[in-house]
Amino acid sequence: MACVSFAMICARAPDVVGQTTPRPSVAGVWVPFGAGRGADPAVAPPPAGPVALKPAYAKEYLAQRAADAEATKRGEPPPSAAMGCVPYGMPRMMAIASYPVEILETPGQITIITEAFSEVRRVFMDQPQLPMDEVPPGYYGHSVGRWQGDSLVVDTVGIKESVPGYQNTPHSDRMRITERLRLITPDVLHDQITIDDPVVLEKPIVYTLAYRRMPDYKMVEFVCDNNREYVDERGRVRMRLGR
Amino acid sequence: MAPGMNKMPRVHGGLLRVALVAALASSGGTPARAHHSFAMFDTARPITISGVVTAFEWTNPHVYIELDVAEGAKVTHWAIELGSPSILMRGGWKFNTLKKGDTITALVSPLRNGEPGSLLNRVTLADGRVLGNGGPAGIGPGTSTSTPPSQQR
Repeated sequence: MACVSFAMICARAPDVVGQTTPRPSVAGVWVPFGAGRGADPAVAPPPAGPVALKPAYAKEYLAQRAADAEATKRGEPPPSAAMGCVPYGMPRMMAIASYPVEILETPGQITIITEAFSEVRRVFMDQPQLPMDEVPPGYYGHSVGRWQGDSLVVDTVGIKESVPGYQNTPHSDRMRITERLRLITPDVLHDQITIDDPVVLEKPIVYTLAYRRMPDYKMVEFVCDNNREYVDERGRVRMRLGR
Repeated sequence: MAPGMNKMPRVHGGLLRVALVAALASSGGTPARAHHSFAMFDTARPITISGVVTAFEWTNPHVYIELDVAEGAKVTHWAIELGSPSILMRGGWKFNTLKKGDTITALVSPLRNGEPGSLLNRVTLADGRVLGNGGPAGIGPGTSTSTPPSQQR
């Protein structure tokens, strides 16, 4: 998509000393939206691709998923890391309910801040990615980005294995996340996410998140200091009372 | 490799592989739930409680209303869970919407285990205003703008 269509949001990026090339900007505050809420099909995200785990992992994953669904049906939802106020990490942090995501563009770096749990990612621009074995495992890993036409392409490695994957799928330390962020309209942003993990996945998982711009929105602080949900001795999620 | 992964049994066989892949077909790139499931609340049987606010906690991950509910001479103390400040602000709430001593009436989904805790559906304030449990994608049942189940996981 040509930048000229979005004159108000184009930036001029220094590509070569003394020259600049117009390109889109993804800076701003964005709120995720799904495909199933009467969204305009012209801007709705495309359906996600299948999740194809290798059989050794699929069997356990499916059993756990079924058990969780059954427990939830009984009114005893399984605990999760988020329930304990542990941040989501990548890739799930990119769309948490209807919490906004703020994207900042500064020279050499794009910073992504989520409102839910105040998570922060730093995307280092126009740098080579580090070898996987040199990245300390963490929630956000190491991200490098580059503009490729009208898309911001972000490569992320180094996500800690205990960080829940897409739809709670398992992943190994070989997971690589590739994102392509692109403005569909001046006020709609898509993030196509490709998760590749040759240890766990039969083939990469591909899905797209969609966001609407929130003009003039001021991000709200989110410090998880009053968490009343806890897990009792039987593993059930409870709500703490008695204040 | 993730802990325990290499202990999983090796499974071979084309038919099984196809079946597992098909069963995992994804529903779409929809947002994840923010904090926790609401399955512990009985959303199918909401109840109405009226009482006096003893505290209004404008906190994360949830806002809470503490309420003394009198039934004759007996007073039961209820905790009511709401969304987060971010979600609520988009639905018209402010940090000082309620204060200690206010009298309110709330439609809530009670805990399934019978304890006096609940999830807010909507509340009628002392001045007659009615507020739900969130903004355009609020969390609570009973509000016309609740997040559809298809987007909650």
